[in-house]
Amino acid sequence: MSAVIQLEGLTKHYGSARGIVDLDLEVSEGEVFGFLGPNGAGKTTTIRLIMDLIRPSEGTARVFSLDARRDATLIQARTGYMPGELALYGGLTGIEMLKYAANLRGGVDWAFVEGLAERLDCDLSRPIGTLSTGNKHKVGLIHALMHRPELLILDEPTSGLDPIVQRELHRLLEEVRAEGRTVFLSSHILPEVESLCDRVGIIREGRLVTIQQVEALKESALSHLEFHFAAEVSADEFSSLPGVREVTAEGTVVRCTVSGSVDAVVKAAALHEVLDLVSHEPSLEQVFLAYYTGESGDAG
Amino acid sequence: MLANVFLKTLRDQRRSLMWWGIGLVALTSLTMAFYPAFSDAPDFDEIFEQMPEALTKMFAGEFTDLTSPEGFLNSQLFFFVVPLMFVIFAVLAGSAAIAGEEGAGTLSLLLTSTTPRWRVVVEKFGAVAVATLALALFLWLGLAAGAVAVDMDISLLGLAAASLSTALLAVAFGAFALALGCITGARGLSAGAASAVAIAAYFLNALAPLSDALTPLQKLSPFYYFIGADPLTNGLNALHAGVLLALTAAALGVAVLAFERRDLHG
Ligand SMILES: Nc1ncnc2c1ncn2[C@@H]1O[C@H](COP(=O)(O)OP(=O)(O)O)[C@@H](O)[C@H]1O
Ligand SMILES: [Mg+2]
Repeated sequence: MSAVIQLEGLTKHYGSARGIVDLDLEVSEGEVFGFLGPNGAGKTTTIRLIMDLIRPSEGTARVFSLDARRDATLIQARTGYMPGELALYGGLTGIEMLKYAANLRGGVDWAFVEGLAERLDCDLSRPIGTLSTGNKHKVGLIHALMHRPELLILDEPTSGLDPIVQRELHRLLEEVRAEGRTVFLSSHILPEVESLCDRVGIIREGRLVTIQQVEALKESALSHLEFHFAAEVSADEFSSLPGVREVTAEGTVVRCTVSGSVDAVVKAAALHEVLDLVSHEPSLEQVFLAYYTGESGDAG
Repeated sequence: MLANVFLKTLRDQRRSLMWWGIGLVALTSLTMAFYPAFSDAPDFDEIFEQMPEALTKMFAGEFTDLTSPEGFLNSQLFFFVVPLMFVIFAVLAGSAAIAGEEGAGTLSLLLTSTTPRWRVVVEKFGAVAVATLALALFLWLGLAAGAVAVDMDISLLGLAAASLSTALLAVAFGAFALALGCITGARGLSAGAASAVAIAAYFLNALAPLSDALTPLQKLSPFYYFIGADPLTNGLNALHAGVLLALTAAALGVAVLAFERRDLHG
């Protein structure tokens, strides 16, 4: 399968400040790729380099085997882009804004645009300046999807969207995937990337930490379980179980950090009377810790 | 009006253009209304001559004969207030064109919609130039109507030449502001710096003749090429108009080159 996005040694300094450092990455055709990292990691920098809005200090970015800089307009014709800090023409209505964008692209199938607006429940007749943040986001999404691009690049597309629209976006991305098109989306939320993507690249402080299939990521991810028992239970009962990284017991409450499957821990707990069970999604920081500390078990 | 970057930019300017047009017509009609009083009282020329030379030079240049139609229009409108209005209009439009959209954040989408950067700059410049020419048309119409109303003996072609010369001057400063915006991405800075240069250029042209040492420097000022050959009386001077066009082309060239190279803010 051919590479749609190919980054080689991509580096960007802002003056003396670090943007991204020596990034190597390939995204294949038809793949939904998640670019995961905390704020300030360099996700937006990478995307803006791919879109030729900024220029690399070193290294190259290629899209559809074309040079991101020299062939920018050819790439743009086949790419839909939604910036992280979305800014639209507040004085135009949604229709006007999208007609303008369509004209710049030499025309699009307008019935398709109207279909998207309907699905996202987006009122295109109002001036964009009067819309809520969520509704502006919808216009931005339609803008990115309207010309049925082969590649979609979305910079934190769900931040600021209400859950219903998030679900609609997920469904749209499913369709895009089913049609064999490619998606590159950035996020700082692990579960979101897990539910949407095939493969995930994790970026931290400007450097690519790892690229994983989502399945593998889930396996190595940490989960936190907190059991409230009816009587006191010793931590020792859990500490040697497979996957357990850390256990603390305080009276009747036992807290476990588990990597991968929680099956063994839950079964061990079931031997006692469990009053309550609280489970936390691992935070992104904990996912990173899982990588940095390897299997040494002293994470968290 | 949303077919391309050029038309969209013109559309964005339509309201501003309307208000500037109204202001310009109001200014010219009001000034023209005083013409009969001036022409009936030749004493005005003497009063004017008795004023300190630096003061008259500052706001009327060499145009000290107030009672002739050409002298009246040149001293009261074309030397100072009309180019001032035009230059402000064009500088604001030029600095808004790229740097304004960049500050608003909408340039990220515009520059990823298949129009190459150089063409975005050229189309936006085209819109600024056309809007400034439209303003010159307003000026010409206002002056022509005023001339008829107060029975002033002035050539409509001369009025057209002076209006066009004003537009050429303003477009050059608009292109300069556009270039500053393309280099820096900062709208306020571009508008401010271009205005400051325009003010300095204005005074250089107006006051250089007061000192023998400064006189040769007058030719460094774009204002000299706008009014120095008195287009109202003599028609458009091809060489002087050419200098203004060359300055505009140079600024546009710098704008495109700088904008192609740099990172977009955001
Ligand atoms: N225009 C800029 N000037 C200076 N530093 C910048 C600029 N843009 C981003 N940075 C820095 O580069 C790093 C990466 O930022 P960014 O790519 O926006 O991260 P993310 O999108 O992952 O939150 C951050 O440390 C940020 O402060
Ligand atoms: Mg970002």
